[in-house]
Amino acid sequence: MEIRLEETTTRVTIGPDGQVEIADAAYVVTRVSSGIYRVTSGDRRWTVAVAGPADARWVSVNGRVAVVDTTPATSARRRTKSGGHDSTAAPMPATVVKILVEPGATVAKGDTLLVLEAMKMELPIRAPRDGVVKSIACQAGQLVQPGVNLLEFE
Amino acid sequence: MISRVLIANRGEIALRIIRACRELGVETVAVYSDADQAAPHVLAADHAVRLGPAPPAESYLNIPALLDAARVSGADAVHPGYGFLSERARFARAVEEAGLIFVGPPADAIERMGSKIGARAIMQEAGVPVVPGEAPEDQSDASLAAAAERIGFPVLIKPSAGGGGIGMKVVRETAGLGDALQAARREALAAFGDGTIYVERLVERPRHVEIQVFADAHGHAVHLFERECSVQRRHQKTIEESPCPVLTPALREQMGAAAVAAARAAGYRNAGTVEFLLDGEGADARFYFLEMNTRLQVEHPVTECVVGVDLVHAQILVAGGAPLPWSQADLTQRGHAIECRIYAEDPAQAFLPQAGPLLLYREPQGPGIRVDSGVVEGGEVSVYYDPMLAKLIVWGETRERARARAIAALQEYPVLGIRTNIPFLLAILRHERFAEATIDTGFLDVNGADIAREAAEGGLPDAAFAAVSMHGTLGTMGTVGTPGTSGTVSPLDPFTTLTGWRG
Repeated sequence: MEIRLEETTTRVTIGPDGQVEIADAAYVVTRVSSGIYRVTSGDRRWTVAVAGPADARWVSVNGRVAVVDTTPATSARRRTKSGGHDSTAAPMPATVVKILVEPGATVAKGDTLLVLEAMKMELPIRAPRDGVVKSIACQAGQLVQPGVNLLEFE
Repeated sequence: MISRVLIANRGEIALRIIRACRELGVETVAVYSDADQAAPHVLAADHAVRLGPAPPAESYLNIPALLDAARVSGADAVHPGYGFLSERARFARAVEEAGLIFVGPPADAIERMGSKIGARAIMQEAGVPVVPGEAPEDQSDASLAAAAERIGFPVLIKPSAGGGGIGMKVVRETAGLGDALQAARREALAAFGDGTIYVERLVERPRHVEIQVFADAHGHAVHLFERECSVQRRHQKTIEESPCPVLTPALREQMGAAAVAAARAAGYRNAGTVEFLLDGEGADARFYFLEMNTRLQVEHPVTECVVGVDLVHAQILVAGGAPLPWSQADLTQRGHAIECRIYAEDPAQAFLPQAGPLLLYREPQGPGIRVDSGVVEGGEVSVYYDPMLAKLIVWGETRERARARAIAALQEYPVLGIRTNIPFLLAILRHERFAEATIDTGFLDVNGADIAREAAEGGLPDAAFAAVSMHGTLGTMGTVGTPGTSGTVSPLDPFTTLTGWRG
């Protein structure tokens, strides 16, 4: 199995009865309760929490948290990350406070395009690259959901 | 005596109040918005009444709906918790006028302390030291700029009606004033419905030290010592502790006496907090009245741990007309307590608030560990309310033991599904400056970004990947999951075995 965490891929060799090999080291994994695992390697031991779907699996150990992808690499490459490099989506559900550009406006990378507000905080949405604004897909006062582009580039 | 309390709040504080009521044999009424129908506080109460749609203005801030809920549920008292309507004199008055007991101070005391200008005047009158500042009647940019010049830069501008750090801005010179005023007014209007701005001298590198006070209707008033709350990010407290590591016994006594004088001058009743800025340390330190919080504080548990009292319990008793359960001579501090606020925010992405499902949520347990939380595994963190999920409070014999206990407890506190500030809290607790207790209120503003980066660094041990690879395939204590059971894959299934042994 291959586990991807950002740019790094970890190869895991799975044996029987919870035995696992990573980078020539042998581990034994025991399930303690739902989502909680005890991992041992020689006299070293860790308690690890795991939850979530195969393509966004959350893992935590000693207060460190990561989200990893355990799906086969080919399907991972086919998936587009939310919005890709041209994303102008809200990072979380938020309310549109201000729209600072109009369709046809020429903007430089990093220019603030919109201001959102959520949980007492202002969140600027900045231009992901130099370009021309094609259309605006939201209105001031609107509650917007993450993953949906709030304006389009030409 | 109170027999049924409506809790005009949600989350961890609603649960905290429900527990205290239950121990006293007092019934509880929860209220909820449409986003909170199955929230833990609703399930825990004896009665529950719907207020309205999810946005706070239509639910937890909706005074007519809350009074209706009290009427239909037969409540004889209302506890406001903190935040929401807890410091609105109008709400306290409406509760009183409906013939109900407000578990908190009298409405006119909230009003007096809610106005920063009025509160200052009262404190000056009572001999409590204050920081230079004013809220000019003429609120134009020009007039506020003139006020800032009179007071002297750097200044802090903040909503006159405010609290909780909302809308506060530091301005170092006239040039920066315009933008800051515009933003502060907008945030003030949105949060409090009042855009009046207060301009104040900024005391550089102060500590935030506050005194818990408590007064009853029989003329008694006591203080329950201090809480040190200097670890704050953008004026939002992150870690609080008691005692304050730099307070001398003489200064502690002076501040306690000043806080009691403040409470008396305000005509105060029930639990309150007098916030001070502490300038310097040791015998030379000076303190200034900052404001009085006319409610129970988020960080009240550190006082409970160190003084050995139950503040919410006392609130219900005192609101019902009983005298204070303690005299000043009864109260002493023992050991050291630290509270860490667990926020749904991502330190690696400029502390962006997070919303989403709690896929896995397990609280730490053990001697000296207390978790006050308002969430459960499988629940959803909503965008509508404060991103604080829980508070971890630890007690230890010494500050160093409490610090070590907090670190150990946070390491045993997995929260999966949304990002939290737990890695950030760990990095602060391990920071040299926190360990040696030399932190002022500017600490996180200066070092926060570095600490957040540090918290995000250092990958996972390979053991984490070992557990990930086995997730969903193992039965309890290593027994292999039954093939065909939904959601499990046997490690012996040919696909896994083939790809697995390939490498």
